[in-house]
Amino acid sequence: MKKDYIKVVERDTPGVVDIIKKTLFVDFIKGMSLTIRYNFTRTISMQYPDKEKWIPYQRFRGAHTLNRDEQGRELCVACELCVKVCPTDCITVVPMEDDTGRGIADRVAKVWRVDLARCFFCGYCEDACPTTAVRLGRDYELACIKLEDSVRNKEQLLKPQQIPENFKGGMVVKARYERNKSGPKVKGNLFEKSDSYWWPIPKKCDDKCDNNGDGNPDKDK
Amino acid sequence: MIDDKKNIRDEFDDEEAVSTKEMTLSFGPQHPSAHGVLHLLLGLQGEKVTWADPDIGYLHRGTEKIAENLLYHQFVPYTDRLDYMSSMSNNLGYVLAVEKVMDLEVPERAQYLRVLCAELSRLAGHLVCIGAWGVDLGAMTVLLYAFREREMIMDLFEMICGARMTLSYMRIGGVRWDANEEFLTKCKELMEYMPERIDEYERLITGNRVWIKRNKNVGIVSANDAIDLGLTGPNLRASGVPWDIRKDEPYLIYDKLDFEVPVGSVGDCFDRYLVRIAEMRQTIRIISQCLEKLPEGPVVVDMPEIVPPPKDEVYNNMEELIHHFKYVSHGFKVSEGEAYHAIEAPKGELGFYIKSNGGEKPERLKIRSPTFVNLQSTHHLAKGEYMADVVAIISSLDPVFGECDK
Ligand code: SF4
Ligand code: SF4
Repeated sequence: MKKDYIKVVERDTPGVVDIIKKTLFVDFIKGMSLTIRYNFTRTISMQYPDKEKWIPYQRFRGAHTLNRDEQGRELCVACELCVKVCPTDCITVVPMEDDTGRGIADRVAKVWRVDLARCFFCGYCEDACPTTAVRLGRDYELACIKLEDSVRNKEQLLKPQQIPENFKGGMVVKARYERNKSGPKVKGNLFEKSDSYWWPIPKKCDDKCDNNGDGNPDKDK
Repeated sequence: MIDDKKNIRDEFDDEEAVSTKEMTLSFGPQHPSAHGVLHLLLGLQGEKVTWADPDIGYLHRGTEKIAENLLYHQFVPYTDRLDYMSSMSNNLGYVLAVEKVMDLEVPERAQYLRVLCAELSRLAGHLVCIGAWGVDLGAMTVLLYAFREREMIMDLFEMICGARMTLSYMRIGGVRWDANEEFLTKCKELMEYMPERIDEYERLITGNRVWIKRNKNVGIVSANDAIDLGLTGPNLRASGVPWDIRKDEPYLIYDKLDFEVPVGSVGDCFDRYLVRIAEMRQTIRIISQCLEKLPEGPVVVDMPEIVPPPKDEVYNNMEELIHHFKYVSHGFKVSEGEAYHAIEAPKGELGFYIKSNGGEKPERLKIRSPTFVNLQSTHHLAKGEYMADVVAIISSLDPVFGECDK
């Protein structure tokens, strides 16, 4: 069988032109001119955590959160399917009877605990939950000093997360860096978008974003 | 092993009469140029390397044993942690092996999405390889540029599956999420933008005299030796062996795609670099074709015992609810048999061998990881080279220790 898809990569062979180029430092000049030209383009670094923060896309799988329904009842019915499916065994659920209307059924979780230090963030618990009680939210700043702090219990998980589920993410927003007793925090303002973004600005927008540059020096003129 | 080394040493002594005392040097696991946790023992005669012996296992987690204790579908996230630079390929290798045992064919859209994502992760893997290689040899700039583009690929992964590195996107019987419009447009945008960026890396380093001096004719491996050593992937092709599993034993839809296989001629570090650059360009072609041809349709097979039905149906239908409970709590049975499936991962041939005894868990799972095999060529490549060139040789092999130590 003829293999016509094979392509041998070209290696430059030293010739006269090559020697002349070398003596004139063409290779260095080519590289340097590229880096120098980048000095005059839009910056793409995000000023995290002092000024900006990344809001992940909607499907992002971050720290767990437990949901309530519209009437504020706990959705979890303590069926323990999430415990069963978890590949790392990091969820603990202890069920109990409760017909005071705390949950949607008369079975609620007495203990619902997840050890984030062992968690994979695979999202299988979210897929397994029959009542959409557990969801992987969009909190991603999970560093802690003590290992025990990485275990989240039910009270912490029932608190709504900063980014609501239906908020469209994938943007950099303005943020403020705060330090208080419970440790440092980066508070993002969801409604104030920030400019820095590493994607090139699409060619479509012509007159408005002319002087913006698009992170691409070849088309800056 | 010790005898081995002695023989090699004698051989070397015959070739070149050096009279300094031999020294053994531990390179890594904390050396900044040792990728990950590589521990390399080097025998040195002055500046020249007489033998090299990689000492692996610092990151051993017993992945193969873990697989025996997990349901088939629970093992997918563990494969993310093998070659963490390109998780999609690992996911793909595993699910294809399981599907081969089960004799399962996934819908066409899922096949296209799988190829699309695996190729994106090949792009990310090669970008990291070239960036890290540059840093190891003192060219910091190319790392920053390569990581900028890699960041966009990470963004794409975040859009489609919600994670940046530990993706777990594939599932047995399809993929976990369908691609949304945003992903497809952004992906197209990136593919238009990427070739110029590759030109930029080339402008920075390909012609650069320092880069050429450090890489050309360093660590040469001939085609026959490369086959004997079991090299795969770009490292094998750089020696001039046109072996690419995507072409020679096509899986999924690779036989419907039009792309070239770049091969080298000399087999030194420079060829390995050129092959990777050329491969990135071919990858862009593959992704663009996938985007063009992407058919409509379902992304999972219609088998409720393998892929539980969507959530809304679970609430309203007793039958579906039972399937859902069954899948989650017991997984599914895989028919008795065994299979080996290899794919062309960014680092080389990634194969999963699965033996099933008809239960819900594999009886035995074996991972043939490319890095593990490629790394054994270190001695062959480094023998007789200068100490400083070992860094270039290691980088050119592109080892990732998550998959080497398993
Ligand atoms: S979170 Fe969902 S899956 Fe887990 S116990 Fe509660 S209802 Fe069941
Ligand atoms: S995300 Fe995965 S590892 Fe983490 S708790 Fe859920 S199922 Fe377990």
